[in-house]
Amino acid sequence: MTRIRVLSPVGVASSDTLSVPPLPQSLAGRTVGFIDNRKANFDRLADEIGAILSAEHGVKAVIRRRKANAATPAAPEILAGLAKDCDVVFAGSAD
Amino acid sequence: MSELGALGISGLPLVMIEHPLGGERSEGISRRARQAVEQLKSLLTQPPGASTTLTGEIGRAEPARVSSRPPSIQAGLTDPATTNPATTNPATTSPVTVNDTPEAVLAAFCEREWCDGLPIVPPTEERVRTMLGGAPADRSLGAMPPLWRVATLDKLAVNAVMAGCEPAYFPLVVTAVQAMLEPAFNLYGVQATTHPVAPLLIVHGPIAAELGLHAGSGCFGPGFRANATIGRAIRLILMNVGGAWPGRHDMATQGSPAKFSYCIAERADASPWGALHDDNRVTVFGGEPPHNVNDHVSTTAAGILATVADTAVSLGSNVGWYFSQSQLLIVLGPEHAQTIANDGFSRADVQRFVFEHARLPLRTLKLGGMWGIQDWPRWMNAVTDDDALLPQVPSPEDVMVMVAGGPGKHSAVVPNCTFSRAVSRPIRPI
Repeated sequence: MTRIRVLSPVGVASSDTLSVPPLPQSLAGRTVGFIDNRKANFDRLADEIGAILSAEHGVKAVIRRRKANAATPAAPEILAGLAKDCDVVFAGSAD
Repeated sequence: MSELGALGISGLPLVMIEHPLGGERSEGISRRARQAVEQLKSLLTQPPGASTTLTGEIGRAEPARVSSRPPSIQAGLTDPATTNPATTNPATTSPVTVNDTPEAVLAAFCEREWCDGLPIVPPTEERVRTMLGGAPADRSLGAMPPLWRVATLDKLAVNAVMAGCEPAYFPLVVTAVQAMLEPAFNLYGVQATTHPVAPLLIVHGPIAAELGLHAGSGCFGPGFRANATIGRAIRLILMNVGGAWPGRHDMATQGSPAKFSYCIAERADASPWGALHDDNRVTVFGGEPPHNVNDHVSTTAAGILATVADTAVSLGSNVGWYFSQSQLLIVLGPEHAQTIANDGFSRADVQRFVFEHARLPLRTLKLGGMWGIQDWPRWMNAVTDDDALLPQVPSPEDVMVMVAGGPGKHSAVVPNCTFSRAVSRPIRPI
């Protein structure tokens, strides 16, 4: 049987990496943020998570910021604001 | 989560909740909120460093980091690529050696998830070199989402060979990729969405005929190598370079046949208004499959365009909800186009007519679709009259009008996915 060598069609990934800061050990006294991606019910989910974290884990404040729509990235000012004000941020959810 | 790995942030903590979230009632949302909090608690108490994986490498199973997923949820989220024992690592970028028969080659490419399921031309080094035609193999057009792999000319050429392209098609393929990588096209959204969008390539100028692109009868369908293989090359590139595999990074709920191949040319010779562009150029349009416009009886522009406008609006369309990005492509059959032109309509008149008539009343829009999560301008959100007819696109210029097809009383409306704008680029030698 003749054999042939064929090339892979798969693209080469970038090897760049970013360091991810560790999560705090506790959320007590912390500020938690949400990037609301405007998918249906994400606002209600975020409100419920925020309420639980405030009531049961001593979270100081909960901030929710809405993207323009679900399919485009959050505006830079939203990201900058959350980075400045929050200790932990939930970046969104799918459908 | 290899998308995070591709972004170099594979150590980013994740919490997983049941899918779906949309359409759930209060108790379902409360359950998911509790799932998220329980997992977050687990992540917070993990030893320092336990959640950090920073290789960013594709094709290698990442160490399990989030161990707190409820088992019932985890089962539903399992990545098929890492669990199918019959699957050879699909992410390898190295050459492979296979038996030289059509059946063995197809089996090898299917096994690696390197093709669309149809037979391919084996991409040998010689064929790829011929496809490149002397262009620099390592030239990068940029990183292609959703896995942000580098779109080098050699990888594009491999996929073009596989698709069955003639080397003469390659500059067009490269230009289409460049157009898709422009920010306005939002290729990440097009690739990853649950919507069935596929990039439609519209080829303008003399090059269309020179390459054998078909613009006549059945132009959206089979039978013509240039249309079929150029469109297929784009799909293979989106899958193999971008990494959008169905159900894994290409999250289309159902997808569409247009995802196999979607490439047409203009019928400038049959257009009363000339071509959209006279130069050699390709437009990429993130569209749904064509929606048929059947009008066998109208003898006036208003009649034909009333049918077009009605076809262009429906509660189930994405168009209109993300308003600023919404566009409609109207592909008029030559007979419909002539009937419209016989009433003295210019292309701008057609655009204006469709803009004014392709509308739904507010009361209909409130029934479902994306009501409540739409991205509308302030003036539209302020409307309270349920009988008010609201536009689908921001301006008449967002109704693109072209002519293609053969004899018959049919046209097509191609709605866009509403988060991607059409992009046109001139085709030049590489």
